[in-house]
Amino acid sequence: MNCNHATFLLVSLPSPPPHVLFPKFHFSVPKKTLLTSKLKRNAILRIKASNDDNGQSANWSKWIPKDTFSGDKVFRLISSATASPIGQFVSSPTTFLHSIDPRVKLVWLLVLVVLPARSHIIMRFGLVAYLTLLSIWILPRNAWMDQLGRVYFLSALLFITLGLSSDGVPALVQSRTPPSVMTGLPNLPISLTGYSYVISKLGPLTFTRKGLSVGSTVACLTFTVFQSASLCLTTTTPEQLASALRWFMLPLRYIGVSVSEIVLTLLLSLRFISLVFDEVRNIALGIVSRRVNWKQLTVMETIDIFFNYFRRIFKNIFSHAEQISQAMIARGFKGNVDNHKIYFLSESSFGMADIACLLNLTVVIGASLLSEYYLV
Amino acid sequence: MNLPSLTFTRYPPHHLVSPLYSKLPKATARGKSVDSVAIEARNLNFSFTAKQTKDVTVLRDCSIRIPSGQFWMLLGPNGCGKSTLLKILAGLLIPTSGTVYVNGPKSFVFQNPDHQVVMPTVDSDVAFGLGKVNLADDEVRSRVSQALHAVGLSDYMKRSVQTLSGGQKQRVAIAGALAEACKVLLLDELTTFLDETDQVGVIKAVRNCLDTSEEVTALWVTHRLEELEYADGAIYMEDGKVVMHGDATRIRSFIEDRQSAYINQINS
Repeated sequence: MNCNHATFLLVSLPSPPPHVLFPKFHFSVPKKTLLTSKLKRNAILRIKASNDDNGQSANWSKWIPKDTFSGDKVFRLISSATASPIGQFVSSPTTFLHSIDPRVKLVWLLVLVVLPARSHIIMRFGLVAYLTLLSIWILPRNAWMDQLGRVYFLSALLFITLGLSSDGVPALVQSRTPPSVMTGLPNLPISLTGYSYVISKLGPLTFTRKGLSVGSTVACLTFTVFQSASLCLTTTTPEQLASALRWFMLPLRYIGVSVSEIVLTLLLSLRFISLVFDEVRNIALGIVSRRVNWKQLTVMETIDIFFNYFRRIFKNIFSHAEQISQAMIARGFKGNVDNHKIYFLSESSFGMADIACLLNLTVVIGASLLSEYYLV
Repeated sequence: MNLPSLTFTRYPPHHLVSPLYSKLPKATARGKSVDSVAIEARNLNFSFTAKQTKDVTVLRDCSIRIPSGQFWMLLGPNGCGKSTLLKILAGLLIPTSGTVYVNGPKSFVFQNPDHQVVMPTVDSDVAFGLGKVNLADDEVRSRVSQALHAVGLSDYMKRSVQTLSGGQKQRVAIAGALAEACKVLLLDELTTFLDETDQVGVIKAVRNCLDTSEEVTALWVTHRLEELEYADGAIYMEDGKVVMHGDATRIRSFIEDRQSAYINQINS
């Protein structure tokens, strides 16, 4: 595309012509200039595009979104966001997943992260279906609809993007097989079983078997990672997770790792996440409630507000951290984690349900390994 | 993580001194005998050096005395030094001069419950303060359960702290203090962020705790005069000084007289 892009600084006219384009923001003009004061006030920045092929201007410019970015919209979006971080523990209704030992859940999580990358496509989609059904069965309706909706959207986006783009680069430069005219061999015969590398063509886009493989792997991996983590977090308290991690990390004590400190830091972080969410939301709400007239602000003034917003978030978060450390001192914490016992009051014990879960996991792993050999 | 250790002066456990500024409200308060002191501060001064100003004096020669087993309130206008005095009593600040005695063990509850509650789930937060003493898990469970029952949150043991309202968080903070079986509760403007129902709920929870245990003493910082009806005694501060110290009814009428005098002055 041979386009020339030109930017002109023009003085404004009483009624702007229709080709005046985005962005149309005001800017400050230096005091000492040849422009008259009236013109200075009305000076605007205009962008014009032209195309060398036919001399017509600005055919791309109509695609540029206008008035999509506005400080007000951004802060309103932040302030109206939910206060609940993703994957918050749901204490009721109590399901069988709530009663499973957190260590078993962590092993399941680890396996579900590894399996989609190392199994047949049918197994991958099988895992997705399994997790979907489990989520619908375990979680309340509003929780699973919210979670599955987001994760399916993300996975579908990845599947489409990677599926269509993995063979987007022309194969000419990648070909490892010399053409038949050079080798003197006949062309490869067309598959009798109906095999075709290209699955479908969508205009300039090609959906190939490689695209299917890459797209399905990434999409299924994304889905299983996000959804299994969500399922685990919604049915396990942070303390149960911390105690399970502590159990797995205990052998590291022998090489000098401060397991207690890691666990306490993890717990404090989990508590602190919600405070950070609240702070980000509340300060945005504070800015929205000031009813700033964003249209009158210059770009620098808008940026200044955003900088002040981030500065305020950090200031408040550090203040929270200081207050929490003071509260910990007031509650008897002297700074040495080994001298301050953290009580994990969950009453989980390893039972038949946990054994059944581990057997189930073994079957899934076995099926996945066998799928590599039998479903080729 | 190396945090500074606490430093404060301790009197011998049964050291008795004569009342300051005014005599003790009654020989008995709400049916309890007053025979020992739980909190005492003498000639406390506190100042700090700010970046742009010179020395800022927050407390000037403050002396207070609170008998054991009573519920006292600390009142005064903003910036008069109430919270600073409370933090000194808790050992979170070191006074410039003066002596402090607070019966132990003691607990401090912050104004903002988000600063007090440090664990993600209710029961583990209530148990956090017990980490300094090595108790059996069953004992901890029992204490946590009792403390949550005392503040009316028995059904919230496994709830995420984030899902609680401001009043519920405040009650969790109080439960944390109660679980430690402390003898002195230092409570800093607990009802600031709460609606009327939660205000009454929280103050009744504290009053109930004092009524069921003869050894517990509470000092409650507040701005609300109507809360004085729950108190055995009160202290009024102004400009870093203890202006009045004694019976809650007398303090209330003293403040109301001041308010009416001020309103008359504006209207005249």
